[in-house]
Amino acid sequence: MLQVLIQGLLLSGLYALIAVGFTLIFSVGRVLNLAYGAYLLIGGYAYFYFAQTLGMPKFAGVLMAGIFGCVLGLLKFQLIVKPLKGNHVAIEISTLILAVFLQSTVIFVFGDSSKILLPIIPGVERVAGAAIPFSNLFAAIASWIILLSLWWFVRSTHMGRAMQAVSMDAKGAAISGVDANRVNMFTWGLSGALGAIAGVFFASYTQLYPGMWVAPLIIAVAVVIVGGIGSIIGTLIVAHIVGFLEILTSAYIAPELRGVFTMLLIIVILVWRPSGLFGREEL
Amino acid sequence: MNLRWHHFALWALFIVGMFALPQFVSNGTLRTMIFANFLAIFAISWDTLSGRTGYISFGHPFLIGIGAYTTAILTHRFDFPVEISIPIAVIATMVGGLIVLLPALRIKGSYFALVTLAMMELVYQLVQVVRPDLTGGTRGMSGLPTLTRGAANGYYMSVSLMLAIALSMWLIMKTRLGTALSAIGMNEEAVSGSGLSVTKLKMTAFLMSAFIAGLGGAVYIHYLGSIAPRALFDINFVFTIIVAALIGGAGTTIGPIAGAFFLTFLLEYLRPWLPGAERYMVYSGLALLIYMYQPKGMWALMTQATFKSKIRP
Repeated sequence: MLQVLIQGLLLSGLYALIAVGFTLIFSVGRVLNLAYGAYLLIGGYAYFYFAQTLGMPKFAGVLMAGIFGCVLGLLKFQLIVKPLKGNHVAIEISTLILAVFLQSTVIFVFGDSSKILLPIIPGVERVAGAAIPFSNLFAAIASWIILLSLWWFVRSTHMGRAMQAVSMDAKGAAISGVDANRVNMFTWGLSGALGAIAGVFFASYTQLYPGMWVAPLIIAVAVVIVGGIGSIIGTLIVAHIVGFLEILTSAYIAPELRGVFTMLLIIVILVWRPSGLFGREEL
Repeated sequence: MNLRWHHFALWALFIVGMFALPQFVSNGTLRTMIFANFLAIFAISWDTLSGRTGYISFGHPFLIGIGAYTTAILTHRFDFPVEISIPIAVIATMVGGLIVLLPALRIKGSYFALVTLAMMELVYQLVQVVRPDLTGGTRGMSGLPTLTRGAANGYYMSVSLMLAIALSMWLIMKTRLGTALSAIGMNEEAVSGSGLSVTKLKMTAFLMSAFIAGLGGAVYIHYLGSIAPRALFDINFVFTIIVAALIGGAGTTIGPIAGAFFLTFLLEYLRPWLPGAERYMVYSGLALLIYMYQPKGMWALMTQATFKSKIRP
């Protein structure tokens, strides 16, 4: 029981970290960024290259991953999202193509085989039969800190309020003197950096391989859809619902079915309550 | 109906040309063309639903997979003859299409795409664990009865299926039904405002798309002789279908066919230089460039070019 609880908390923390960057884009830019998973891919491989191949310190590796993700997010906004001018279907399709492009670029540079990422913080603690890798514990705590500070940032700083304004009404925000372009640039860069850092943790939790972007994308989609657009607290809650659902399924029903309930949750929520469980009042 | 005699002349020329091809090209090229034919069928199926009505399906392998798995299970586990199992598979796929339809009656845009993506992943995970004695689990099934032997026969089968589907879709899209479907893609409210039942129209589009997907999927499996979940319910497969339809030109009949042939041959000709999956780098890069430059695809680019040259001689 305690084992399930601990594993559930660790996995949920990781999922929250994965989903938060996606939430940001979905609530501020209102676009479905299907290349979000590619940030995690690029982040994981950037960390692998800088920290493990070049032997830089691990913190520098995570930082480089964040920078790569940030630059990628900015480029994506400038080159794809902005020229398409809010055409949602076109953005979805072009980001899907971009994700496959980045995946095959990774294959071209690093090869098709999967890589083992050394844990960021080595060591395992055993509590009540559950192995707690320090890396996962760190990821869970980091995701809590990042989410809460993001929540504070969005509510209390000028930039955060501007993001909120743009997500509610882009025209109204523009009239009150908010530079929507700057807000969007900031959001895309931040989302990319968060995604890439989540990728480092995700890759050390599973493994590093070119197809690893699909699973986190679906998790992020599930969390954001079920939580409701633009709700950071909803993201945190639903990440725990999805995480515990998976751990409970694999512990008590069958490990192979762990993703099934996540999918069912997406379908049921989308059909039954498209605005999500937690509405969209708060960002 | 707006049909002109030169339309039929072009179709006749196209059909004769496709059937004459095995006389001129090698067996290796023919095998590539068989895959292009099947990809064209899937792209036409995607285009019938998404290209026309604007409801983007990211889960088309869901439909193809229902058709493929139904016929595979029926022939492999219950010894049904292929002539009976394929029609059953097509009907099963149309029922599956109705299941996809239900959410589409309520939700639009990005959310519809997400539901279809979730459905594909759901089926992918279920197929591996629910009754693996029937579905073959993760490994799938092999040794399924094949319809044809030899490259030339396979080519004739796939090309006649593809051409039959393309021609009938072209004729259907020339009727008022086709116009109405394209109108949904432009402005759904306006269509229902002019007194047409949008629900009925959407249902027709879904059923046609599912029919083609099921037929194509079932015949494809009986050409390959094997089925595996990872090759079928794959986001890269979705990507290939969508890109084939888009790069050629969504909302047209010739577009998906041209796109499917272009992409299959591009991948084939890249093989000597880039043997592995990194070929998709060229492919997706090119697709992204074309899509960003002209979302209507190469067909629109070509008509633009001829149109311009007509104005300025």
